[in-house]
Amino acid sequence: MKVKFFALLRDITGVKETTDFTGTTLVELLKELSAHYGKEMTRWLFTPTAPNQEKQIGKDVIILVNGRAIEHLAGLKTTLEEEDEVAIFPRLAGG
Amino acid sequence: MYGWVGQILRVNLSDGTVKKEALDPVEIQNYIGARGLGTRLWTKECDPKMDPLSEANNLIFMTGPLTGTMATNAGRYNVICKAPLTGTMAASNAGGYWGPELKYAGYDGIVFEGQSEKQVYLWINDGEVELRCAEHLWGKDVNETTDTLREETNINARVACIGPAGENLVKYACILNDYTRAAGRSGVGAVMGSKNLKAIVVRGTGGVKVADSDAFMNALIRARKMVADHPVTGQGLPAYGTQILINILDQSGGLPVHNFRDSGTFPNADATSGETLAKTYLVRNKGCMGCNIGCGRIVNVPDGPYKSFGEGPEYEAGWSFGADCGIDDLAAIIKANNYCNELGMDPITLGSTIACAFELYEIGAITEKDAGCPMRFGDAATMVELARKTAFREGMGDDLAEGSYRMASKYGHPELSMTCKKQEMAAYDPRALQGMGLSYATNNRGGCHVRGYMTSPEILGLPEKLDNLATEGKAGWTKTFQDLTAAVDSAGICLFLTFAIGAPEISEQMIAATGIDYTVEELMKAGERIWNMERLFNITNGFTKKDDSLPPRLLKDPIKIGPCKGSVNKLDVMLPEYYELRGWDSEGRPTSEKLQELDIQ
Repeated sequence: MKVKFFALLRDITGVKETTDFTGTTLVELLKELSAHYGKEMTRWLFTPTAPNQEKQIGKDVIILVNGRAIEHLAGLKTTLEEEDEVAIFPRLAGG
Repeated sequence: MYGWVGQILRVNLSDGTVKKEALDPVEIQNYIGARGLGTRLWTKECDPKMDPLSEANNLIFMTGPLTGTMATNAGRYNVICKAPLTGTMAASNAGGYWGPELKYAGYDGIVFEGQSEKQVYLWINDGEVELRCAEHLWGKDVNETTDTLREETNINARVACIGPAGENLVKYACILNDYTRAAGRSGVGAVMGSKNLKAIVVRGTGGVKVADSDAFMNALIRARKMVADHPVTGQGLPAYGTQILINILDQSGGLPVHNFRDSGTFPNADATSGETLAKTYLVRNKGCMGCNIGCGRIVNVPDGPYKSFGEGPEYEAGWSFGADCGIDDLAAIIKANNYCNELGMDPITLGSTIACAFELYEIGAITEKDAGCPMRFGDAATMVELARKTAFREGMGDDLAEGSYRMASKYGHPELSMTCKKQEMAAYDPRALQGMGLSYATNNRGGCHVRGYMTSPEILGLPEKLDNLATEGKAGWTKTFQDLTAAVDSAGICLFLTFAIGAPEISEQMIAATGIDYTVEELMKAGERIWNMERLFNITNGFTKKDDSLPPRLLKDPIKIGPCKGSVNKLDVMLPEYYELRGWDSEGRPTSEKLQELDIQ
């Protein structure tokens, strides 16, 4: 699957997009990204929780799966297919 | 009086007289300042049915009670008049340093009446006010005009002026202050040009008194910390500017493409994004007076056909000259945007009008003989040259200068104008953002994104995430955003603050600054009062429910590709609920009960 990064997140990843990671659910994919890119990425992707607690999405990240915000899908439990595109943004605005 | 200075200037351009007048304390409490108070003054004195370019159209510059104070991002003022582009009220909002300087000189605002026989500018040097000859400035662009006026008055003076577009009565000419900050929309620059008024130069050495300085400092320190700590206002906007929105709108399927014909996704959108701008032409960021965000972009294209140095583009300009015209050349977009700054035009309307012309050409409605050249989506060189020609009404530029509605009507296809109330919409496709569609349709000045920015909850998740494709609840959200924005605009602060702070933090600063009990409820009520006042103007001027609409394309033709494929805007579902929540009748007219509740007379 394709994962795209935007804005400040590109400073962490050094790339705009990658196909190196996978997961059957969004949380699995994000854990892989977190493990690979380290603490700085983890701070964006997840709200800090105790190790035995369920992962919570970071409050300042926007994630789209095939262009739909995950709030309108199944959140971290959104299932992923190989052909899916996941776009990850830091919280942003303008106008 | 605290917050407000308490007096305005009244300048009669027909007979050259200048008077000072006290502000009415009841009016300022009800209508706050800037957009609200300026519109109130205008509607009390002017006939709504007049020709916007006639001498009867008063041109009002008005600050708010927080303008020029240390409140969060308080550099704003508004220009109010009847709009040449739309026939609605125009209240165009600008940042920079000019508004604060006017207050430091001792005035909350200026009312210009009449029309000068000769070309003039106004020089305000604290208490001394003088109309001066501007014949040597006519024809000069904004940068030359500003430089010349600072040299001949005071090098520290602040200048608000028009460029050639305002002189040539381009229907969407801007007024630029501090070189690059614009009262941008609806054609306020054309009204200034019609009055033969080239510029207003201000030097002020006073200050603004607040009611409770300790409470004010505490409130603004708290608010400023929230702005600094927020990822949007503390990180994203300073680093990337508003052009950061290109990619998320593209990825969400809401970026309008090719005059909204091919919306869904724009190939190579990232080439025009804030991220790309930051890595290529960005010199540094820049803020207005007292700003701790700094969303402005100083840019330099060092060489090539689009060599230029200036400020911007904002997201809307990046889109209008970019995806909407089918162009992914960032240097060309910067060049066209710089023309807008230097020559004094609204880039949203200009880019969208050029995109409309491209479509009219593609369907054969405009011929090469009409245009003087081929006009096709993706032709960056043509787009840039048309932008320049428009300011001078050269060739095809004369049609473009009228805006897309009048141009498309002339060539037999008004339905291809992407406007509401004859003003071009901004960079959000209403088929992908249902609430933004309702906001455009009901906006008192037509297609405008900043008076009810439903993109914030629908795409950006602020203050919470709403489903962009759903209609449920959008009427209530739209009303709340519209009323809050009217209050924010009238206070003299920047709308971008509301990404980080809310009505409670604004209320705290307003109470401490003015000594008036502007609770959150009172602020929202004032915003609602202002919205209804603007609505009444439109109704008196002949606007009806049928004007609360969107271009037929957005109601009938589904988006063809991308995440929102198949969607149209369901305005008919949202509009009745919106009228009901507003306390209006089924035709969209405020009821007598609502007007009584809001103390509108």
